[in-house]
Amino acid sequence: MNGNYRYSLMLVIGLWLGGMGSTSALDFGELVDLGNKLKKIVAEVPAEEEIRIGGNLISGLLGAAPLVKDQALQQYVNDVGYWVASRSSRSDLPWTFGVIDSNGINAFAAPGGYVVITLGLYNLLQNEAQLAGVLAHEIAHVVRKHHLIALQKSMRREFLTDLTIIAVDDRKKDRKLEKLVNAGVQLYATGLDRDDELDADLRGVVLAARAGYDPFALLDVLTTIDSINPAAEELTVMLNTHPPIDDRLSRLAEQMDGELDSFASGRTNPERFRHVALNP
Amino acid sequence: MKYYFKLFAVCIFLAAPLQADQGAIVVREALVYSASSSASQQVGKIAAGTRVSVFGRKGGWKEVFYEQESIVGWVRSYQIREGSFAPAVEVETESDSRGFLAGLAAFSRKASGFFRSSNSTTSSSTATIGVRGLSEAEINAARPDYDEFKKMRQYASNNVRLVEFSQSGQLRVNNVKHLTANKKQGKSIGANGVNKK
Repeated sequence: MNGNYRYSLMLVIGLWLGGMGSTSALDFGELVDLGNKLKKIVAEVPAEEEIRIGGNLISGLLGAAPLVKDQALQQYVNDVGYWVASRSSRSDLPWTFGVIDSNGINAFAAPGGYVVITLGLYNLLQNEAQLAGVLAHEIAHVVRKHHLIALQKSMRREFLTDLTIIAVDDRKKDRKLEKLVNAGVQLYATGLDRDDELDADLRGVVLAARAGYDPFALLDVLTTIDSINPAAEELTVMLNTHPPIDDRLSRLAEQMDGELDSFASGRTNPERFRHVALNP
Repeated sequence: MKYYFKLFAVCIFLAAPLQADQGAIVVREALVYSASSSASQQVGKIAAGTRVSVFGRKGGWKEVFYEQESIVGWVRSYQIREGSFAPAVEVETESDSRGFLAGLAAFSRKASGFFRSSNSTTSSSTATIGVRGLSEAEINAARPDYDEFKKMRQYASNNVRLVEFSQSGQLRVNNVKHLTANKKQGKSIGANGVNKK
């Protein structure tokens, strides 16, 4: 842990603890300021620690749904994801991707460069560009540290404490880490902030374009998903906590309009996508 | 003249035996423009649920033909869906049988699918990308599986693999600046740094 990081941690913990009993006394400006400071702390979490947290989180997800037993499929998804991630500002992370055996239609990311996509979503895709678009969205979450920031918000003081006990007390650290993993896995049930999702959409399409894919393929995936009618109960949860797909589509299309047109002729590689499917 | 030529082309197109495979459906009300830009002339409006034919695509736009009202023009690509229509999410109860033909059956949500889940008990069907997680029951039952994580790491790609992968896929690297949304002013700043809207 470098000195700057340690100092910042102490500063924020102090600020937070000091403010915990008197949150109502903070005005909006102070809250924004505090939020910015916390983001700064997350930005300074060492990559090594981020990777460790992410590995534990993704292990939790794999406990819920294991990998699909298909080496060719897993390697293909890793190649697509690694290629897209190599176009990001964090190409040095140990990017690892997986298809998990769940019929749910989802994709998840964890800090440190871990991304999984469900079999249900994979089976909805029609070409490599769509797969790249989905993975790019998740890669953007990792690059922007959305999960770390959300975890910090939900764990508050405890998360920060976790980071301060690195290599101090293994048993204590393990207990804290377990708590962190539980909170992290729960995060996958509740989702990220609406703005984080829209941010990942915007960043994701650019990453796909940088990697030589048709960036509009993500719009096609969202359109496909939007045409699915989930059970009312699930729709209620989604609408209560997350931006409707329709909203994402409108905003994304509007902001891409005229900006990425020249990349629309990017590769989609449907043949390679099908080939993997046909040769497990 | 160009308009009539397109109509003529559409007639030939509709007469072709492949007509059924070329269709698309408007998934949300779409304004139709004379060109692939919202600054061009508006030539009509097509209601959600309408079937149309698609000529082609340009950026985020698709050129369509709506036969009933003889409308030819451009709509935003996300407003229409090509291929299989409105698949319903169904709980899968079949036994473990991964198969290409099975994946093509009917217009279920597996219509374009290739792989069959081996987890027949899974029933989550949340329609999101990075929006919502697995079902609550699955999450509550979850215990970290570190062995599976090790297996996942073994599949990770590397720079050597990427050379072959990018070349065989004819993937070319592009230099593209990020788009950033300006929430306060409701504007987005494009790759060229110019405010939109």
